[in-house]
Amino acid sequence: MVVRIRLARFGNKHSPFYNIVVAQARSARGAKPLEVIGTYNPVPKRPTNLYDENPNARPYKEIALDRSRARYWLGVGAQPSDPVWKLLTMAGLVKPKPATYLEKNV
Amino acid sequence: MPPRVQSRRVSSILLPYLAPSSASIQPSSCPSQILSRQFSATSAPQTKLRREMFAWLNTEGAALKDHVPGETNYLPNPRNFNETNLKPFPHNDNFISESILSEELRNEIYTRVVKKKRSVRAVSVELGVEMKRIAAVVRLVELEQRQRAQGKPLALPYARAVHEMVPTTRLAEKGERQAWHEPINDLPAHPATGAQIFYPVPESRSFTRVDAGRVFSAAPALENERREAISHPSDLAEDVLNKKPGAIEMVGKGDNAREVLLPADARIPHPHLVKMELDRIAFPEERRQIVERNVKRIARQDEIEKSRREKAEAWRERSIRHIEPEGGRFDFRFQNVEFSKQTTGANGRSHKAPGRRYGVPNQSHKRGVTKIPTRVEA
Repeated sequence: MVVRIRLARFGNKHSPFYNIVVAQARSARGAKPLEVIGTYNPVPKRPTNLYDENPNARPYKEIALDRSRARYWLGVGAQPSDPVWKLLTMAGLVKPKPATYLEKNV
Repeated sequence: MPPRVQSRRVSSILLPYLAPSSASIQPSSCPSQILSRQFSATSAPQTKLRREMFAWLNTEGAALKDHVPGETNYLPNPRNFNETNLKPFPHNDNFISESILSEELRNEIYTRVVKKKRSVRAVSVELGVEMKRIAAVVRLVELEQRQRAQGKPLALPYARAVHEMVPTTRLAEKGERQAWHEPINDLPAHPATGAQIFYPVPESRSFTRVDAGRVFSAAPALENERREAISHPSDLAEDVLNKKPGAIEMVGKGDNAREVLLPADARIPHPHLVKMELDRIAFPEERRQIVERNVKRIARQDEIEKSRREKAEAWRERSIRHIEPEGGRFDFRFQNVEFSKQTTGANGRSHKAPGRRYGVPNQSHKRGVTKIPTRVEA
């Protein structure tokens, strides 16, 4: 069975919060994972103070990640889900996911 | 029908900042009141309470319609007429309205902290205002200036009326001694001191505040050598200042680990004031040297605290990676966390581990949990 790195939703209604987890692919979303290697808060935060002075300051999203564990799990063949792939790309741990639709269209 | 209670505005003499046109306000008369019950054939019945209210407003209450600037406008206290009335509720002697900062004083605080770059601690001692209040004043004055710059309206008449009707602490004139606004060295109540402990001590043994703190935090008693090294409990404040914050002794294991409660001398906001008082007792003649020494102490403490703050800030900046994707709406901040045996604990449920925990109920809906933000995030 495949081991995946994926998001597990926590938080209440209308306030999502995700654990970045390493879990067996066919286990339930809320099941206890193998490891929790980080968190992802999809609700953007405004940088305080700065925001009034600089209206171009963009809101930010917070991600916590154990890079060494992520690297280990990728090394032993864990497959990141699409959203996690994007996060790991930004963290510089994997290459961007190849966009296959480009080849089809060309 | 008795006249309606009219909303009076502050008299125009008190509003130097307002334009003269807006300051002169005629009391509005309401002729429509007479016609207001045109569908009812019976005369307007009045409740007894309403009648009494108007009777009171025309007799005793008439004196309270306008306030005298510089005096409170509270109900007269039947027990003492002579003194300044500071009790808004005549039957509650424990409720006393406290002074607020005058405009000049708060502006002076802002000038000293922001323009003259004095430390919050030093300004707090000079003006007798708590350090937390100083920080709040600086933030609020900054906010006010920003609002002025943006051309947003300010509630100046309201502010002025409030300042006239409550006691204020004014800024001392030149050569005058500044009256303290509030006690600045209050000891915060630590939850560990809430327990009632019966702890028998032999008469022959010296038992100080240091020992009491250890008893409260269930730490073993100090060894004799270390106890003898402490001449006064305020020495510990110096130790805490010199060492890193992590150097405070810990007691307990795992999740239960906690810092040993320090004596009050080290936990008060201004420990240097204790040292100064000790100096005064020891050297009653050397007044100037004592003050100089205290200024040095404050400067040193500020310097240490500042470098500590800067280090923490730099560490935080280093541990967070800012990713700013082009063309996106958001930035991303990556923080390093650690998933290991140390962070998850033996049963995997330690709160130090990253992420929300499994098998541990969320306490956010429990009674008494504060949901509003209680601190300002940087």
